[in-house]
Amino acid sequence: MVTKSEEDQLNRLEAQVDNAGGGAWEYLCLVRKLKVRRPDKVLKHGLAILNDSKKRSALGTEEWTLCEQVAVAAMDCQSLDVAKDCIKVLRKRFPDSKRVGRLEGMLLEAKGLWAEAEKAYSSFLEDNPFDQVIHKRRVALAKAQGNITTAIECLNKYLDTFMADHDAWRELAEIYISLQMYKQAAFCYEELILSQPTNPLHHLAYADVLYTIGGLENLQAAKKYYASTINLTGGKNRRALFGVCLCTSAIGQLSKGRNKEDKDSPELQLLAVAALEKDYKQRAPGKLPLLTSALKSLRVSS
Amino acid sequence: MAEDLVLDTAIRDWVLIPLSVVMVLIGVLRYFVSKLMRSAQIPDAKLVKEGQVIVRARNLRAAANFIPPKSFRARRLYYSNEENGLLYVPKGQAPNAQAQMFSDPNMAMDMMKKNLSMIIPQTLTFAWVNFFFSGFVAAKIPFPLTQRFRAMLQNGIDLSTVDVSYVSSRSWYFLNLFGLRGLFSIILGEENATDDTQRMMQMTGFGFTQPKSLGAEKDGLDIVQHDWTMPKFERRAEAVLRKLVR
Repeated sequence: MVTKSEEDQLNRLEAQVDNAGGGAWEYLCLVRKLKVRRPDKVLKHGLAILNDSKKRSALGTEEWTLCEQVAVAAMDCQSLDVAKDCIKVLRKRFPDSKRVGRLEGMLLEAKGLWAEAEKAYSSFLEDNPFDQVIHKRRVALAKAQGNITTAIECLNKYLDTFMADHDAWRELAEIYISLQMYKQAAFCYEELILSQPTNPLHHLAYADVLYTIGGLENLQAAKKYYASTINLTGGKNRRALFGVCLCTSAIGQLSKGRNKEDKDSPELQLLAVAALEKDYKQRAPGKLPLLTSALKSLRVSS
Repeated sequence: MAEDLVLDTAIRDWVLIPLSVVMVLIGVLRYFVSKLMRSAQIPDAKLVKEGQVIVRARNLRAAANFIPPKSFRARRLYYSNEENGLLYVPKGQAPNAQAQMFSDPNMAMDMMKKNLSMIIPQTLTFAWVNFFFSGFVAAKIPFPLTQRFRAMLQNGIDLSTVDVSYVSSRSWYFLNLFGLRGLFSIILGEENATDDTQRMMQMTGFGFTQPKSLGAEKDGLDIVQHDWTMPKFERRAEAVLRKLVR
């Protein structure tokens, strides 16, 4: 996850570089470190450095890392010729490299030659069945072709061996949500919460999934997870605040006949509403009446 | 002797500093040699999976209170189930990892290589120190020591009345051996093969068995009492919001 300070630094460097103020190399290094996806900027500035032979020789051995970064960015922007040139240069320099082979596989993917890419990746996996990145590229390949079921199968097999990879769990959860298999998605989010319990995004996503599945028990659990997100973000996450309001009103609707209500539920909802109103007043006062009317309709039904 | 011995500054120039410099250079050389000699390790499928299972089970134990009780119980059952639980190791099957390590030729070769790269330079340097730098007092340790250290620190010096604080160059060698570890981690980065002391400690405790750690994880998991922290979070969220709204 990118922290706020890193994000500020990135934006600052980006603005600086866009206004031709130099510092392109630092910007590219930061993008690479944070694994952010900014293909157009990377392509523009990376190519500027690579085409200028003076700056290129100043990089020394880092030139090849930059070449790889530019190749991936070019594929992202569909400039396949640029990508092909970069990969050719890299292949000339490192003739036996698996890393370059992976780039070539990605180029085949970008061109749409699915079968060849699949063949290339399978041959890599035969050499080294523990290459995590190639496994993930296969999943991406299946997903790009639209074979979501194959993607799920590959991802499950990958997670069978490498079950501590939380990015893979996240991807699996998102795929399940896109297929509306909410119970499986809930399982994946639980794994994520287990591996990173202090990350509020996982709590939030889990609460969303629980709320979507529905049912009294799940709604109560969802409210608790929205509350923990509020806790972890210091009340700044508007989605969690909305979530709390919606959950409370839904629980109220479901348990209208019965009398077992949580003792602290009205407090939490009122507080969430107050926090939301304060926030909207500060940032978007024009939308405040919309908010109040929406919340009122929730309160009436609760 | 209670008086202070005056040590020639030439000792400092020609003994202490060259010895340290030589040890640093040998360490750097060893690091590069080990990088060259390191064969590509093909990880064993079972070991990789077990390693990841352990990480996942440890995460479960650590953060058990963050997921609902039902899911926790389901996961615990998944891990410690009698028939096909991930952590369950039937009693007879736990292979003795030591025997495994010696029978697997690749691993034995790797161990041999690592040990050699550690033993040979140490032996050579030690012999060099002994040959050239023995028979005189090299340095004075700034704090007083008891008589028991005499055998260890004053090996070349055959006078029994010299204060134990005056040590021979052999002890300077040992001091450098253990002390340069920090310096190497700065110069060479985290992963350096010069971490002899660590490796020596590892060698003494060679009960590094995989099945045992699985069993330990399973026991740890069985012990865990699930106490769902979410209700507490609700109340805490209230407090946070109250402060925010005020």
